[in-house]
Amino acid sequence: MAAAASASSPTSPAAVTERRGIPGASFVEDVETYLKQSGLDANSSLAFLQERLQQYKIVEMKLLAQQRDLQAKIPDIEKCLDVVATLEAKKGTGEALIADFEVSEGIYSQAKIEDSDSVCLWLGANVMLEYSLEEAKALLEKNLENAKASLEVLVADLQFLRDQVTITQVTVARVYNWDVHQRRIKQATKEE
Amino acid sequence: MQKGEGSEAQVTWEDQQNINKFGRLNNRFHELEDEIKVAKETNENLEDASNELILSDEDIVRFQIGEVFAHVPREEVENRLEKMKEDASKELEKLEEEKESILAQMAELKKILYGKFKDSINLEED
Repeated sequence: MAAAASASSPTSPAAVTERRGIPGASFVEDVETYLKQSGLDANSSLAFLQERLQQYKIVEMKLLAQQRDLQAKIPDIEKCLDVVATLEAKKGTGEALIADFEVSEGIYSQAKIEDSDSVCLWLGANVMLEYSLEEAKALLEKNLENAKASLEVLVADLQFLRDQVTITQVTVARVYNWDVHQRRIKQATKEE
Repeated sequence: MQKGEGSEAQVTWEDQQNINKFGRLNNRFHELEDEIKVAKETNENLEDASNELILSDEDIVRFQIGEVFAHVPREEVENRLEKMKEDASKELEKLEEEKESILAQMAELKKILYGKFKDSINLEED
């Protein structure tokens, strides 16, 4: 009736070892055990942790840039959808749509947009394709959905990353404090 | 770094999770402040546009759709503006509510963390 030793320690956090290329920071239960297991002394351990923090910083910059791009892209797609919706609404009426558009900074010209069944969409890479109004709307809506989904994943990545940074920073503080504590004890025993 | 004397409180996984959560909430709080600023501006702009519309007495108004200014009859512009103002105001309200909720959660976490760690932890803005 030996107490069954469970394979996983009861307090061990379900640490995610990595997420989409971002290494996970393992939580340190006890500083002394951690240092013994890794075979490093306090200073080397601190150096390693600082390096980790730098790596995290680089990844964070990259993710933030991606996030900014997506956040700029989404309103653009919404504006295009707006225009397509307006054209659709005008279709039935038979009237032409009159609009002022920018020719150059501060200079506007007037355009008369007749009833049309199709629009051209700029796909990037110097490519523009003609679509029917329905197809254009479907394509834009799909792009918008994808952009929003990507943004969500990105935000989750950033949260994960920041958590790992926080864990690492706390570990740095604890290793440092443990080291200071050890030195103080050694000092005290020397003075006896 | 805190110069602790002797044994400070040990950091458990639960503490770490609380600290992580606080960090996440704090980040979201700052993001929200920016978002609220933008939302307030949008609301103001729509309000100004509305006022301009009332003052002007043209029948055809140049209304921005996408990157162009379409010639739109006044009534349609009024309706569109009303709808946009309503959406903007709801959005602002939603953001303010989220901000309140986050502040409350952060206050709660501060109580817990300061309670355990007292001076060993600093949760204030620098």
